Amino acid sequence: MEAMQYLSESPDSINSSSNDQPVSNRNLNRSQRIAEKEKRKNEAEDPFVAAVKYFSDVEAGTPVMGNDVFEGNLVVVEKVAYAEGLPPDAISVMLEFAMSLRMGTSLCPRVLKCLIPATVVPQDAVVRAVAWLGVSKIPISTQVLFIKWVLTVFDMIDAKDQLRAIYGFIFSFVTEENLCPFICHLLYLLTTKQNVRVFRIRKLLDLQDRLGKQPFLLHLLSLYKVFCPELVTLSVPSRMKRGFRNHNSPWKSALAFVQKKNSAAIAPSAGVTLTIKDQSNRRKRKHCHLELPVLTCALNKESQAELSSNRKLVPLAHLRSFAELLENMHRIELPAQMGSLLSTSVALHYLDCVQEESALLRLNFWLGYTLREEFLFCRDGGATQNSDEALQFLNRLLCAHQFLQEGFSSSEGFLYKFLTVWDGCLMRPQILGLLSNIPVVPSYKMGQLLLEPLKQLYFTSSPFFKCGLLECLNGMLRNWLTWHSVYALEDNMDISISSHTSIYMTLSGLKDSVSQLVQFVDHLAVVGLQLESCHSLLLNFILDFYETVCDMFLKYGLPLVVLPSPGVFYPALLATDPVSVDRLAYIMHRYKVNLAFAKSQLKITEAFRISRQTFSDFNHYVVDMVNFLWNAKAFQSGVNVQLDEGILQRSKVPECSTSFDLVYHPAFMSYAIDFHHKCWPERKELDLSSIKHVKPWSWYVEYLFSQGYDGLELFKRTNINRWQPVKGDKEDSGTMQL
Amino acid sequence: MSLLKPFSRRPALNTATILLVEREEEFQQRLAEVLVEETAVTLNVRLAKSLPLPFENQHSRPRIDLVVFIVNLTSELSLQSARASLKYLDPGYFLGKVCFMATNARNAAVPQERLDTLRGLAASLRCTLLFAEDQTADGATNASERLLTILKVAAGLVPMTTALYLSNLTMCTVPSNTNEVDFD
Repeated sequence: MEAMQYLSESPDSINSSSNDQPVSNRNLNRSQRIAEKEKRKNEAEDPFVAAVKYFSDVEAGTPVMGNDVFEGNLVVVEKVAYAEGLPPDAISVMLEFAMSLRMGTSLCPRVLKCLIPATVVPQDAVVRAVAWLGVSKIPISTQVLFIKWVLTVFDMIDAKDQLRAIYGFIFSFVTEENLCPFICHLLYLLTTKQNVRVFRIRKLLDLQDRLGKQPFLLHLLSLYKVFCPELVTLSVPSRMKRGFRNHNSPWKSALAFVQKKNSAAIAPSAGVTLTIKDQSNRRKRKHCHLELPVLTCALNKESQAELSSNRKLVPLAHLRSFAELLENMHRIELPAQMGSLLSTSVALHYLDCVQEESALLRLNFWLGYTLREEFLFCRDGGATQNSDEALQFLNRLLCAHQFLQEGFSSSEGFLYKFLTVWDGCLMRPQILGLLSNIPVVPSYKMGQLLLEPLKQLYFTSSPFFKCGLLECLNGMLRNWLTWHSVYALEDNMDISISSHTSIYMTLSGLKDSVSQLVQFVDHLAVVGLQLESCHSLLLNFILDFYETVCDMFLKYGLPLVVLPSPGVFYPALLATDPVSVDRLAYIMHRYKVNLAFAKSQLKITEAFRISRQTFSDFNHYVVDMVNFLWNAKAFQSGVNVQLDEGILQRSKVPECSTSFDLVYHPAFMSYAIDFHHKCWPERKELDLSSIKHVKPWSWYVEYLFSQGYDGLELFKRTNINRWQPVKGDKEDSGTMQL
Repeated sequence: MSLLKPFSRRPALNTATILLVEREEEFQQRLAEVLVEETAVTLNVRLAKSLPLPFENQHSRPRIDLVVFIVNLTSELSLQSARASLKYLDPGYFLGKVCFMATNARNAAVPQERLDTLRGLAASLRCTLLFAEDQTADGATNASERLLTILKVAAGLVPMTTALYLSNLTMCTVPSNTNEVDFD
């Protein structure tokens, strides 16, 4: 709707504005005069110009029947209109002629049907024609036809400011039953926040009582609700029928033909340099929502020139750089189509810093509608969904999200809906990208909106989807934590994630949400590892997530420490690849640093209380880790992994307690063998146990650290006080005391 | 009335059998073509328009590990047919060996009520409800991958897990208020 093909400024208007300028050069003046004369001569010969002149001068009350001059002229105009479209001034003349009923009512529809603009439609003409609606006795069917025509060419009207100025006048036509659907559509396109008034809402609600829940009324009301939620209490069904049909049937084919023919001529002059959109592969679709409109200004040059003296508004499209934006920040004129904001960085900057909400409201409304129509209730059942157009659109949206570092609320709502019917494959990178940008979800509705559908997708999909989803949730958590660290206020610890999204959340609310998310991912991780039999890739994505989690306190200032479940800890500790063990060691090191910091803070203020259970769980993990890797006492501390002695014996592994130390651990054994070769090159027999003597052991550990296992080194430094790995001597693990 | 029973036969080694039930017989064919490309296990794909299955082949029929009802949401008959077929399944199947696959869920022509009914049906039987994009090749591949994930568990080929366990994790739930979710 808003995103219909938008023609850029007409070359005519540029010419005319240049004509206004005084030309001092005498020669130029003369040559212009000659050109002018030439033009006039041509005009006299051109039957089209003559015909238009006839219609502008024709007297009221001229008979139609048997009037050959009239018939001939109209045929000329029609021929031009259907062949190449009418220029703006001809549109003005013909519209004025038709709507003033100078030659009766019967002609009106015929003239309206041939009003096919070649470039733009002058706003003045439309305003004058709307005025005629009020004074002359135009039959209802013709009035409907006229409004349909306005809707069809809406995006070609060169400016909308005067049309907006007569909003109230246009609104008064809603009571006319036959006009109502079309007037509603027109109002829908024109509405700004200032137009939403209580008396208008009341009128629409009255109409709704009389006519029933008509989709066109609902759509207009829902737009009002978007602008002024406090005024409209009506509940709008989430799934509305397509409210406004395409009314352009009488003009559609002719318009498409003319545009196609003219597009080659117009494209070079459409010089909005900042746009990213590629002009060449523009494709006309039945409902081309997904094309981001080119950013064009709502005002043409002349009216802009005259307006700039009194209202001082600067169209966003005229700004080229960030510096210009800063200068004109207070007097920006928004484009007619909000979707175009997504395509330029200046517009995104504007969205980012603007305090006034109407730009975001309009953008959100358009976006929400577009996403819903294109991805949730597709007309063709989604056959064209993987098209480049859809991908490009979502990528653009994703870029805008990443640029603004926050999501739009309409795309959030869309995602919740989409997840419940998603197959897990369609546009996966885009959907997961958008998902990781959603703002903090309050914990009480997180389960139903987000976690439940994700869980059902996760457990039925391939390990690669699992990895992708974990990465996405990791990004989501990082975003939430970043928002917290940026927006958290010192005293009342509120998180108010920017003025736009209007999410106000107390610190405890945020902590609830974050811990619910972490617990959810923990659950996904534990069961995922079990189902995929400890898939290494999956394990690495899980450890990625915990690298974010372990640093929540120090890095992001959120006083919350959540430890991984044993179902994550032990698979990582006993993993067959050394990288996982090393990363786990790093994570445990960071936990230690965070907990130590929390403990030191606790002495100062009581606000950072970490539960005793967390400290005790952490200590168990550290003791186990040191016992497994350094002390060769696997399965002996027995708090988390309690294995019956009998079972261990039945496994018939000799000395199974030593089989996970740094020498015999399946992840490190290759290093042990390598070290053995380097240390004792003369030895023929491999005797790994000799590494465990004091000297070689310390060399071996140093050797491991030198191989890039920084996590282990850090872990050793923070958690192991003294290490004398003589057999039987216990290493002291630096557990935390409360 | 002959019930289809999940444990009437012994399982064969490294073999899984899936039964695709679809009234329209469109998507099942394409799914089957993708499914049989699986090489890690011996995979039998059986197709049916509806249940009960014909009596004649009963003896040659292998043990069916997973029954999938493909429901085309644009047709009410499709849903009715799946619902009518359910009663020819032994209750043992509902311990994780039945799942629903909905197609066309994003079509504008689908009334919300039908989707809700299907969701309710799947939730009441504690079954998994998958959504699939039947129009595209990618959609069919992905749908078959997801079915394989479930099938391998249902056929007992994944250690440490059972069909009942997986279906507990993935079973469909009915949101308390489907229509008026409050996003503010």
